[in-house]
Amino acid sequence: MQRLEIATALVILCLCVVVVVSMWDQPYWSNFAPGSAFLPYWVAGLGTVFAVAQIFVSTRRQRAEPADWPDQSGALRVLMTICSLWLLVALLPWLGTAISATIFMLALLLLVQRRQLLPSLVTTAVTVGLVELIFILWLDIRLPRGVFGI
Amino acid sequence: METLELLSHGFAIALTPTNLLFVLVGVLVGQVIGALPGIGPSLGMVLLLPISFGLEPTTAIVMLSGIMYGAMYGGTLTSVLINVPGESSGVMTTVEGYQLARQGKAGVALSVAAVGSFIAGIGSVIVLIFAATAISEFALRFSSPEYFLLATLGITASATLGLGAPLKSLIVAVFGLMLALVGTDPILGTSRLTFGQIELLEGISFLPVAIGVFGVAEVLASLERSEALKPLKMKLRDMWPTWQDWTTCRAAIVRGTGIGFLLGLLPGVGPTAATFIAYAAEKRFSKSPERFGRGALDAIASCESANNSAVTGGLVPLLTLGIPGSGLTAVLLAAFTLHGIRPGPLLMTNQPDLVWGLIASMVVGNAMLLILNLPLAPLFASLLRVPYAYLAPAILVLSMIGAYAAALSLFMVGMTILFGIIGYFMIKADLPRPPLILALVLAPILESSLRQSLILSQGSLSIFVERPIAAVLLIAVLLSLLWPLIRLGWHSARLLGSRSEQERG
Repeated sequence: MQRLEIATALVILCLCVVVVVSMWDQPYWSNFAPGSAFLPYWVAGLGTVFAVAQIFVSTRRQRAEPADWPDQSGALRVLMTICSLWLLVALLPWLGTAISATIFMLALLLLVQRRQLLPSLVTTAVTVGLVELIFILWLDIRLPRGVFGI
Repeated sequence: METLELLSHGFAIALTPTNLLFVLVGVLVGQVIGALPGIGPSLGMVLLLPISFGLEPTTAIVMLSGIMYGAMYGGTLTSVLINVPGESSGVMTTVEGYQLARQGKAGVALSVAAVGSFIAGIGSVIVLIFAATAISEFALRFSSPEYFLLATLGITASATLGLGAPLKSLIVAVFGLMLALVGTDPILGTSRLTFGQIELLEGISFLPVAIGVFGVAEVLASLERSEALKPLKMKLRDMWPTWQDWTTCRAAIVRGTGIGFLLGLLPGVGPTAATFIAYAAEKRFSKSPERFGRGALDAIASCESANNSAVTGGLVPLLTLGIPGSGLTAVLLAAFTLHGIRPGPLLMTNQPDLVWGLIASMVVGNAMLLILNLPLAPLFASLLRVPYAYLAPAILVLSMIGAYAAALSLFMVGMTILFGIIGYFMIKADLPRPPLILALVLAPILESSLRQSLILSQGSLSIFVERPIAAVLLIAVLLSLLWPLIRLGWHSARLLGSRSEQERG
């Protein structure tokens, strides 16, 4: 947990640097009023203070709780789920909502979570049906239809 | 008298067939979401937010707020029957409720919790009516300096008074402020932190962040585990408490309601902290505190009353000042904004149908939940047998489609996944997520109020101390930042005191 806390603080420090560098060309004060860079600089300053304080506190702590990382199979499930989500985004414009969502759900249920076929098919059908019913038929939202038009 | 007339008008609005239907939808969704571990009420609200675009604003708001208090009822089921809190405010109910369930008194625990929640819900709505009116009139004296300090207090208090380490919460709040800076300067119109991306010119929307950190992240964290939860069985005939049980619980319900509502008013405290404090208070007042931890019915009554009334209390600063005090009310503020409504002191004057319709709908919603929870509790309990593994993909699909529906943009969906990954690591690093959402929602109010204040004062900071209300708020902000140090000093002093007593003894 100690390493995670320090890593978090370092990420915030990097973000503070990015904010300051990005806003360098913008005015801090403009005539008699704050400029575009006013609040970003203050936020970056506060972020730096809190991040340094967190690094100080974490390094001085004598007893550190272990981080709650998943085991190998759990980590694999999480990773595959994230990859499946990006696959869903990639497929949506080509295959449309219904087919992409179906592929995503079956991949997650059968391959990632290794569930039984029939309940997985039922869950997929109900979910895709709900999406069609609520978003397309009721709210009339133009979800991606893909090359097959569904 | 005028208040009663407005309230009766509110009931006329809440009791229309459409609003009745959507109150029922909201409380049902809230009940189910509260009952399912790993799915918080925030997720339910953000999932229904895109769906609410097709509704009238009043209908949308009553539905979304129904989820808030419905989840408090639903969380009891999983706390009592599975020994897992349905959501974070159910921890103390889990401690006592599961012990009662093992003694064959699950039904009694659920009944007392449902009735306590109902009484707390109705009682706190009555207080809300008078508190909201009074605070709205007072808030008309607020101007830019007061709004800046109020928005700052909302962020600092949620960071230091809420759950989670204060320093980590402040870091998360700063991250939220950074996200809010992306886009276009609201006063000068120049682009900021967009890195040349046209999609970022409108800023980072609330929806992908909320769906990502509350929805996707929770699902990812839950998918790590593969074990199934087995709920204890309960029968309808075991539902009813004895007269002695009610005698034990009635004072606890009143105390829990009062504690919950007062704490709900404070930004950053929310239902979770309210239940802990109500539990501690109930143990202090109890004639037999040794029962606590082994199945104390009055503890459940107090906690469940506190969490429900805290939700109602949290609506007071939102409706009257436009300042959310928790992640849940931040989502509700986003809903108001997306429907083109600005909560604040003028809301009760400009949108009386919405405000009084909402208040009346909470009475109706609480009544619906009492009916659902008493005879239908075994039915809801059966939902707990559905393996989470089947719910998770459905939640992810609805999340992605909801994110797309908000702006018809795959970029938004990509951002949702990115924030889901960030949210997952926040869970691993024990970083609280509500300060992120609060900062994101409050940042526009904070920045515009600050800059307007400095324009008014021609750059002088004295505007924040010369105005009496602003000065009080400034002291509150400083106190909220210093509170962790004050608490640490007080705790150290108590330890020293008890050690020196031991040495003398």
